[in-house]
Amino acid sequence: MTDSTDVVESPGGELVPAGDGALATTSGAEVVPAAFRDDSHPGPVQYVFIAVVLCILTALEVGLYYLEGDVNNNLLIAMLWVLAFVKFFLVCSWYMHMKMDPPFFRRVFVVGICLASFVYGVVLFTFAATILADR
Amino acid sequence: MAQAVVPSEGHHKYEIEPGFHGHHAPTNTGVSNPKLAIWLFLSSEALFFGAFIATYFLYRGRDSYFNEGPTPKELFNIPFTSVTSFVLLMSSLTMVLALAAIQRGDHRRLRIWLLATAFFGLVFVGGQVFEFTEFYREGLALNTNLFGTTFFTLTGLHGAHVTAGIVWLVTLWSRSVQGRLHDQHSEAIEIAGLYWHFVDIVWIIIFTAIYLIPQH
Repeated sequence: MTDSTDVVESPGGELVPAGDGALATTSGAEVVPAAFRDDSHPGPVQYVFIAVVLCILTALEVGLYYLEGDVNNNLLIAMLWVLAFVKFFLVCSWYMHMKMDPPFFRRVFVVGICLASFVYGVVLFTFAATILADR
Repeated sequence: MAQAVVPSEGHHKYEIEPGFHGHHAPTNTGVSNPKLAIWLFLSSEALFFGAFIATYFLYRGRDSYFNEGPTPKELFNIPFTSVTSFVLLMSSLTMVLALAAIQRGDHRRLRIWLLATAFFGLVFVGGQVFEFTEFYREGLALNTNLFGTTFFTLTGLHGAHVTAGIVWLVTLWSRSVQGRLHDQHSEAIEIAGLYWHFVDIVWIIIFTAIYLIPQH
């Protein structure tokens, strides 16, 4: 908590920041312009850099696909998954701003991902065993 | 840095929460409600797509009906799908550039990047329609085998999500053209962007799972 802000009662009875939509601090300084501009997010140069990395990783993935038969299949699959997860992580962290936004959003999303992984992991193990037993 | 206004102990006092980003009206949680809603939605979408990806893996190579008819190996055109995947990946770049533009108050560039994102999305969907048509011509339909069923359902639903995203982007572009999208609406672009990037990360998984991992 660094600064306090005066509020007024809106026509609907809600407490809203003082001023004409602006958040006037007790010192009288408006914080609205800074609020509209989100400096915490990366700039275009960083976004382009991430895109270049993503392109390189995609090229690597496609290159690996053509190594089928020359490389152990399990190793190939593991490498493809690692590359996919690195791309997934980069897009989530930088483009979806998980790295910079409040951790609460990240937790909400991670709960969904973990729940999906757990539920469908159980489904796969259960039904795969059944199918293999039926063959 | 942008700051959130959260209630403090005083009855008519709000305090700026340090480390909070973005602009929104005061909320009980201290975070933006629309952003919380989209994250909850995306979290549920992870379960939605997870169901179809799990189903694909459930039958892949384990069921004798999976490859009855044309096999994935015979059908897939990896160079073509790689290009459409690349296009979708680049659409994520144009989407964040659109967000960066509105955060700078540059509405001209915002419109350019929004249109570019929608265009890349259209190219991706067009590629998917072409691919589906080719597969159908070669004998793979939704009911040909379990590969056809799981493949068309999963990629088709993803394509539907991309299409919905394109409509969303064009709507935002149209609002911007009409002058109804101001600097303080940057969160609307951010929320559309979150949806778009999610669609992109789902494709990252689908591309690896279905196209690149060697088939049995």
